[in-house]
Amino acid sequence: MESKMKPMFLPEVEKNSQPSFQADTIKMLQAKGEEYPLILHLFAYRPEATAHLTRFTREVMRGDSPLSEGFRELIAAATSAGNHCLF
Amino acid sequence: MAYIDLPSGFPGISGLMVYRPETAKPLNELAQALLAAPSTLTPGERELIATYVSAQNDCYYCQNIHGAIAAHHLRGNEQLVLNVKQNYQGAEISDKLKALLAIAGKVWRGGKHVTTQDIERARQQGATDLEIHDAVLIAAAFCMYNRYVDGLATWQPQNADFYRSRGAIVGEMGYVNLKREPVDIEDTAASKAAG
Repeated sequence: MESKMKPMFLPEVEKNSQPSFQADTIKMLQAKGEEYPLILHLFAYRPEATAHLTRFTREVMRGDSPLSEGFRELIAAATSAGNHCLF
Repeated sequence: MAYIDLPSGFPGISGLMVYRPETAKPLNELAQALLAAPSTLTPGERELIATYVSAQNDCYYCQNIHGAIAAHHLRGNEQLVLNVKQNYQGAEISDKLKALLAIAGKVWRGGKHVTTQDIERARQQGATDLEIHDAVLIAAAFCMYNRYVDGLATWQPQNADFYRSRGAIVGEMGYVNLKREPVDIEDTAASKAAG
């Protein structure tokens, strides 16, 4: 399974997961032999920076807002489609 | 005039941060981690990447405030900041920083523009994976900050002294412990527009 996944530009990012829930998720999915989105490696590599991105995303997508969570996900999906980012 | 009713006297992103402190906190912490926390890239180098991307996005506030912060870290060398914005290949910066700026420029055009050759070139100039990683994340984050600031048409005073003095404060204090107070400054563009 893993062989189907293209290597990332930066091997050190894939090799050096720091303690984080993303690192736990990677381990779990690897143990099951499943493919997983490599964005997990980005978040596990540099949690000093990316933990803030996680908190930001949680606030903006799940925090109090007059926009429903579903509508906010639609905005995110439409923007990602506009950016041609499949994930 | 901003598109939404923001507290007055807070230029650029600061008005948005006062308006929405819940999202402001992680955004400031991200800026601190990327630009001000200890790194093998100097604060001046990292602010130059942020300034360059902001200039590419034509974000007046961001390129001027981060340009001023960069100049503060670069012993007041405003000419170097200008040179990096206009033509970094000819600027007096390291080849490593030039290679990282090339990657940042690709990220600005769209993440898929970055190639293995761009990464290889940066490595040949001595950039580590962590430095390449951070350059990409700075570029990506500033595309977000720039769009946030311009997408709501925030107040962006055209007053070089404001950016100079604020840049020195942010350069010393970092992003997390900043006090945000309304500023009272002469804004030549605004008074022209009002007249």
